[in-house]
Amino acid sequence: MRRYFLPAASIFLLLGLLISAWQESRHPKPIDLTPTLTGQVEYCLSCHSDLAEISSSHPVKSFGCVLCHAGERLALDANLAHSTMRAGKNPSDFSVVQASCGGANCHSGTAEDFRDHIQRATTSIQATYAGAIANIRYTFGVQADLKARLGVFAVQVPQSTSGITELAAFDPLQETNSFILAFGQNCLTCHLSALPVQTGGRYDHFTGCSACHTPTQSASLTSVDTNTATQVHKLTTAISYTQCNTCHNRGNYDLRSMTFQPRSDLPTDRLHDYYQPIAQFTRCEWKLDCVDCHTRTEAMGDGNLYSVKKEIQYIQCKTCHGTLADLPQTRTLTDPNDLAFRLATLNPIIELQLGDTIMVTANDEPLWNIRLMPDGTYEMFGKTDGQRYVFHPVKGSACTQDPAKQDSGSCHQCHSVER
Amino acid sequence: MSLGGEMSKQTISRRDFLKLASDTILTASGLLGLGGLFRFLSTQTDPLPPTNFDLGTASNYPPGSRTILADIPALLVHTQTGFSAISLVCTHLGCSVESKPEGFSCPCHGSRFDLQGNATRGPAEKPLNSLRTGISSDGKLRVYTN
Repeated sequence: MRRYFLPAASIFLLLGLLISAWQESRHPKPIDLTPTLTGQVEYCLSCHSDLAEISSSHPVKSFGCVLCHAGERLALDANLAHSTMRAGKNPSDFSVVQASCGGANCHSGTAEDFRDHIQRATTSIQATYAGAIANIRYTFGVQADLKARLGVFAVQVPQSTSGITELAAFDPLQETNSFILAFGQNCLTCHLSALPVQTGGRYDHFTGCSACHTPTQSASLTSVDTNTATQVHKLTTAISYTQCNTCHNRGNYDLRSMTFQPRSDLPTDRLHDYYQPIAQFTRCEWKLDCVDCHTRTEAMGDGNLYSVKKEIQYIQCKTCHGTLADLPQTRTLTDPNDLAFRLATLNPIIELQLGDTIMVTANDEPLWNIRLMPDGTYEMFGKTDGQRYVFHPVKGSACTQDPAKQDSGSCHQCHSVER
Repeated sequence: MSLGGEMSKQTISRRDFLKLASDTILTASGLLGLGGLFRFLSTQTDPLPPTNFDLGTASNYPPGSRTILADIPALLVHTQTGFSAISLVCTHLGCSVESKPEGFSCPCHGSRFDLQGNATRGPAEKPLNSLRTGISSDGKLRVYTN
């Protein structure tokens, strides 16, 4: 056998060298990038040079890929390069968001600098799902009131105007009531850490920030292929109502069986794309996108822990239209660092100038896409399509509303659209 | 007796065949290995980003001129007092700012700077960095980013 050793060893040596050469030849030609922010070369563009910029505020030349996604920046082998990425394709998942998106100049700065996005989002009711959990536990007699005590994850805040400073993690397996147990197993599908239920592609979404800020490609009403939804490499504040619909308006929860019942119809127009069969909608509510009226703190929270959506959602018809007695609140822009300018930069549908008078909410949040015109009307620009609308205030109009009834439900009495 | 018949009887022993095959394969392996070694030794590391930019002769930039140097990126200003340069990298998060009639604007997050590079609107708080300029011994105008 010894006389065959040398030939066999020679063959194995040659084969080994050939395999190494073949593997080497499969690697892409390195394309290096040294982002301004990191100053460290990375080779991600060797394979991903055709990827579109994720947003105008995160240009690859400045940010690169590794700062947000992590990964092995010098690897040319795809498996090795991707092996240490944060949360796979989604670095905004709340389990890693601080490392990916945090930083004093990025998204975990101070509230005074309006850079506390992560603190607000991770304590928001959309993330904790605390309201639904409290409601179900109250309904089935496990807790005596509707105050939130549990969230889908444990969270603490140093202080809270709501009086709630911490939530413990909700563990359905610790519940003895079968309905609550079923709720935990079947109904935790629409918070910001939840993967979508398998109802079809148009309702697919990412977790964390990307659940809202990364559009689902086939979420549009015109898409008929509901099984091929893909998220595009994009971050945007121009969030279409269809993205909101990846969680909202996609069906109902059946409290008798504690299961999610996906809607079975396939709407063909926008009015019917809003689910909730018994709900009433004014023209604003289905012609505009949700983000045209609802503010950043309503959607992402304000840093406090809440028990119910109504505690944070406060926009009413009168916010924009005023009442018979009062005009809507406005603010003239005199500070170049006004938050309105920053928001208008991120979504440039309107060219705001110092001296412009914009609408503000009761909490002084800028409705930066609505500007007072010299003739007393207001112009509004749709945040997703830039379409311009002009509207009048209620004051001075022929509206016959009861001044004592200023809630949106009262407005619906006259202004709802028949569906 | 034919020549063809003699040729067909010329055989190589198994030992010689194995030796020949081994030698051939080892030679090929050696050449392949040497090729890999040569490639490894001839690999050149990526050069560091330049910090010294040759702008050509100073006369190309007349007094009063303001020249965008996109490769750096920087703005070269020639005034009565001489040459000066401002970095066009935003001091907030490193995006390249755009030149506007009233100054500079960052397309990423909306920071604004006046014509002297002072921050006039956030989120950037610091002014654009000043860059060192000089004329080298060969008469070339240079900008230094370090």
